[in-house]
Amino acid sequence: MTPAQWQRVRELFEVALDAPPANLREWLEAQSADSVVRREVESLLNHHSRAGSFLNEPVPESVPALLDEEEAVAAGTVIGHYTVVRELGRGAMGRVYLATDSRLGRQVALKALAPHLTGDASHRERLKREARAAAGLAHSGICTVYALEEIDGHLFIASELVDGHTLREEIVRDRQPRADTILATARELAEALASAHGKGITHRDFKPENVMRDRTGRLKVLDFGLARSSHALTPLSSSPAGALATLPGLLVGTPAYMSPEQLNGQPADPRADVFAFGVVLYEYACGVHPFEASTPLGLAARVLEGDARPVADGCRHIPPHVAAVVDRCLRKSPAERFATAGDIVQALASGNAAVEPVRPDRFQTMWRVHQAASMALYVVAATIAWWIKEQFKSPLSLWTFVAIGIAATIAGVSRAHLLFTWRMNRSRLTHEWQRVRPAVVAIDLLMAAALAVDGTSFVGIRPLWGMLTIAFAVGLALSTTLMEPATTEAAFNQPAP
Amino acid sequence: MTSSRDGNQPDAGELTPIVYRELRQIAAAYLRRERPGQTLQATALVHEAYLRLAGAGTPWRDERHFVGIAARSMRQILVDRARARGAQKRWAELDRVTLSASLAAATDPESMLPAVDEALTRLEQIDPEQARIVELRYFVGLGIEEAAAALDISPATLKRRWALARAWLFRELSGGR
Repeated sequence: MTPAQWQRVRELFEVALDAPPANLREWLEAQSADSVVRREVESLLNHHSRAGSFLNEPVPESVPALLDEEEAVAAGTVIGHYTVVRELGRGAMGRVYLATDSRLGRQVALKALAPHLTGDASHRERLKREARAAAGLAHSGICTVYALEEIDGHLFIASELVDGHTLREEIVRDRQPRADTILATARELAEALASAHGKGITHRDFKPENVMRDRTGRLKVLDFGLARSSHALTPLSSSPAGALATLPGLLVGTPAYMSPEQLNGQPADPRADVFAFGVVLYEYACGVHPFEASTPLGLAARVLEGDARPVADGCRHIPPHVAAVVDRCLRKSPAERFATAGDIVQALASGNAAVEPVRPDRFQTMWRVHQAASMALYVVAATIAWWIKEQFKSPLSLWTFVAIGIAATIAGVSRAHLLFTWRMNRSRLTHEWQRVRPAVVAIDLLMAAALAVDGTSFVGIRPLWGMLTIAFAVGLALSTTLMEPATTEAAFNQPAP
Repeated sequence: MTSSRDGNQPDAGELTPIVYRELRQIAAAYLRRERPGQTLQATALVHEAYLRLAGAGTPWRDERHFVGIAARSMRQILVDRARARGAQKRWAELDRVTLSASLAAATDPESMLPAVDEALTRLEQIDPEQARIVELRYFVGLGIEEAAAALDISPATLKRRWALARAWLFRELSGGR
């Protein structure tokens, strides 16, 4: 069949479908002289009427098991010196089995890491490194990692067997916990996270599924640092190929527990764990997600733009100071949250969510003043260059003026953009700052150099004005290289890149 | 999918393995989630994969572009898996006399997947848009409205073309003329 014939078949089929002709054959004869087309339309309409529920139910709904990746390992299977007893559960990382360690004669939880996680060699190395780091964590609130095993090309993590249930199961049970239980849970979880943060390890995927309560009632946090690491990333590589190469590293954590900055593609630091802690505790205390929405995209939009449902609404039992801690954990800007889980522990103990003054407001005002002042300096720089050009009337001074004018416009607009971002979409500020910063520094230094040249040639004619111009140029350069990084760090608790 | 040509976005071919891997991983997590009554929805799966991959902003500005690639990956995932589970063998064993009736009743969707995939590849050569529609509707489970939005055509048009694709595939699989 030629494309033209197919085109015609499609048209006739669609028309006949919308308004079935009384006599199909006659109608087709009238529509097309081509017998191939007529036969095809008739055949398709005929099959359409008999297709029943063919293809009507999407595959993922009719056969969800097809999305499951690996086959379970049967009980009794021997893997290295472990013997599988039964499957305990299944997660994004792979299946977990109850197994017996024949060397030490104890029972362990054996996690078989899914092949898609370990297929890529560099990724595999990173995963091994992280697992080793996590194995160094010894805290009663953290599930101990015993060993990382590589058996027949597969990676396994053997860890302490926690006999109990996950925090998710408690949340689902739909009975709001009592005030003292909430406080105790908050304390235990914060202490566990704090002990890891103290050793420089970030969880990156803290969620109710990763917290277990054992038979004695103690909480244990699982899977430390195993979420894909985002080190060595340059999220804004210029070429598509470059961006592609970094993509796998950007996928960290579970969207429902991701902080705004993680959703914006930035690496997770302890403050992302602090955010996740806030979400988990909120969910535990109130039974609902603070940014509840009907779809994952809707939820992410609320995390990025909307405010959390206030803690006090609908959770009667949460102690006020715990509610204040949760509130602060859920701030959009990382700088406004607790810096690490250690600070949460302190805040819970002291009953005061503001252990240290919430820094942003005053320091951020300073930062905004700096941006505005820099913009004013650009106007002054352009004016000086214009004035010197008027005095000299030389081509050099003319082109210096033009260059400074252009530079001042670019840098001015960039800084205005930062101020605008600060006002409208603060969670993206770090991102925008990293994007704009190199250009702004380069332009400021260029402008300072141009002014210095202007000033130097002016010194011979009017020493005072020449010297003042040079001083202004030096001031501009230092303001960018010296003052701005410090102001930014004070305002956002983040080193300038 | 026209947007994949504007130079800003990487080629679908390069991205498919990443999307494929991501979808599988999220699917595994979905199957485990303990929330009672929560069923696996491929649409939610694709949304979540989009979120995780789009977080960085750069190559995924266009959700529509992403959904197309994700749908193709879903097809690949589901068909590969059905093959691995011996679907072809069961397909070959189906009674040819009652085949048409069991297809219409959709009694064993898994066993027919490899055959659907092969027929779809043939349909794709005649009319690529038809194959996209089947991927979105059947392999991801998008509704009429969503699928129409993903292909930038009207819901009414999509509905008619989907009917055509179903009829065509039904004929191929049931061996009719």
